[in-house]
Amino acid sequence: MRGRILRWILVCLLVGETAAAQEFRLWNRNVQVHGFASQGFVYTSHNNWLTMNTTDGSGAMTDMGLNLSSQLTDRLRVGAQVYDRNLGQLGQWHPSLDWAVADYRFTNWFGIRGGKVKTTLGLYNDSQDLDFLHVFALLPQSIYPTDLRDATIANKGGEFYGNIAMGPRFGQVSYSAFAGVHNDSIYSGYPYLTTQWGVFFRSIEGPQYGGDLRWETPWKGVLIGASRMDQEITAKGTYANLMLAPQPIPYETTTKAYWSNQYYGRIRGHGWQVDGEYRRYFVLFPILPGYDASIDARGWYLAGTYRISKHLEAGSYYSRYTVTTASGGLAETILPTQTDTSLPQNHIYDKVVSVRWDMNRFVYLKVEGHFMDGYGIGPYPDGFYPQQNPAGFKPRTNAVVVKTGFHF
Amino acid sequence: MSTKSAVRPLLTAGWLLLILSTPAMAGVKVIANPSVKENSITVEELRGIYLLQRSTLKSGSRVVPVLQKGGTAHDVFIRQYLGRDAEEIRIYYQGLIFTGKGSMPKELLSDAEVVAYVSGRNGAIGYVSSETDTVGVKVLTILRPGQTGERTLLSRVEPEYPETLRKLRIGGSVRLQLTISPQGEVESVVVVGGNPIFVEVAVKAAKQWVYAPWPSQTTVEVSIPFQPRP
Repeated sequence: MRGRILRWILVCLLVGETAAAQEFRLWNRNVQVHGFASQGFVYTSHNNWLTMNTTDGSGAMTDMGLNLSSQLTDRLRVGAQVYDRNLGQLGQWHPSLDWAVADYRFTNWFGIRGGKVKTTLGLYNDSQDLDFLHVFALLPQSIYPTDLRDATIANKGGEFYGNIAMGPRFGQVSYSAFAGVHNDSIYSGYPYLTTQWGVFFRSIEGPQYGGDLRWETPWKGVLIGASRMDQEITAKGTYANLMLAPQPIPYETTTKAYWSNQYYGRIRGHGWQVDGEYRRYFVLFPILPGYDASIDARGWYLAGTYRISKHLEAGSYYSRYTVTTASGGLAETILPTQTDTSLPQNHIYDKVVSVRWDMNRFVYLKVEGHFMDGYGIGPYPDGFYPQQNPAGFKPRTNAVVVKTGFHF
Repeated sequence: MSTKSAVRPLLTAGWLLLILSTPAMAGVKVIANPSVKENSITVEELRGIYLLQRSTLKSGSRVVPVLQKGGTAHDVFIRQYLGRDAEEIRIYYQGLIFTGKGSMPKELLSDAEVVAYVSGRNGAIGYVSSETDTVGVKVLTILRPGQTGERTLLSRVEPEYPETLRKLRIGGSVRLQLTISPQGEVESVVVVGGNPIFVEVAVKAAKQWVYAPWPSQTTVEVSIPFQPRP
């Protein structure tokens, strides 16, 4: 393991020294090529985390992406990015089309993007995979759970967007509104979670729509905003249970209500930044014929970063996540109602400190400590999975995350 | 030749050397291809264009921003007009590039490259250090917050070119921020950048300029060139 990480760092350094964004001509147009890759190592004191065997130390945390884009005319831009990752049991090296867009900008306040479009939701939803942009090795998991990135990352459809400058006294408003069809990877957190109950999904998809409105206030460096996303997801697969259904039978479920509301703010000065976000996620779905169940997950965080020098940056955040479930009648036998968020199975409170070292313009190294209270194992995945913790959970988990990567 | 007359040129040369070796106050000017209709640009517009949030100016002119890859002009421009440092702006662009929401603007290595590129591409807009020769491009006046347009300059007094510097063929420019009264008089002058040896005469001349009346007090940045002629 240690050898593998050292080799990775060496590759990063070598690549980084020569890396630079590439550009070539195709059909008399400039085409830009950019890419990135990262490799992480995680060790936890208790409880295996993020589907990795982290109590032994795990390096099964790799991702990479490559994109091409070209400005065809003054108004029209096209591009696409391929993304691949392996995070413990997730991703499993199945590459996906991360985004592929044609972007036409009519005017400053109105443009349209079509294709597979990254979803703007809060400050970092669309950039959560781009490790090199962030000080933290793991963004606050209460809002950006890496095991669930597929559920919110992009949709096939379109969005319109724009910026409205309101003058120096009122600042600027940016908006985006999107609608499309969302496909969850079957190698993501939710389908993996349900395998413990004998449910194996083949597809998880449905319409997804929403919007984002953010205001760059006239006060220097202060941004506030809100996002909303609605979904109607149908999951299809099979169900097998030694007692109830020894032979796999078709299984299908469609959400009755599924939405996320997110509110956020950011203050930025020279070399420092403070972010705060709140997200409420709610889903209501039929669990048995005639019986519904709901999951209500709420999270918030407060994060601060400071650039100590050109190459060194430090940060810290406090992330708070709670989850409750509600059901009734027969559904209680499958998904018992849980409303006490003081119990460790219904919350995760995470204190984090992080340091990032930029070795050069292209290569970085991060070291991060997590001090977690709770493990939040509801019917909604949040980092801790029974499959990796068959002996049960301890109430507290400390973790060290070391991550390195490069981009060009 | 007396000792006194022999020492005087040496003292003059020493004085000039001292002044020339003093680092000039860092300043940048914003340049545009002559196809751009505007002669001025607000800080807000400049910011929107460089953050890829807007692509047209108030007249509808479509503009394409050009960056410098690094250097003093780049650092000063990013900090002064975009309110960030070079590293932050690099991360900002990468966020757009890797989420499919923008492309990297053209990056060039020097002031001269920027001038050459901007002069040859319709709609291009860039920034260079204030001393750069800007033949073939137009220099845009940067309007500070609260300013809504340009004030017409009715009377311009040219600065006196110091004879010694002319003889030595020393040139440069001075960038000044003028505060103009509603009646059109130049009330105060702040030196923003440029060659310090020309500052005194530039300020003296600018204080005599007269602008057209305006509903309120305004500020404007101007660049005064000093080009020695044979």
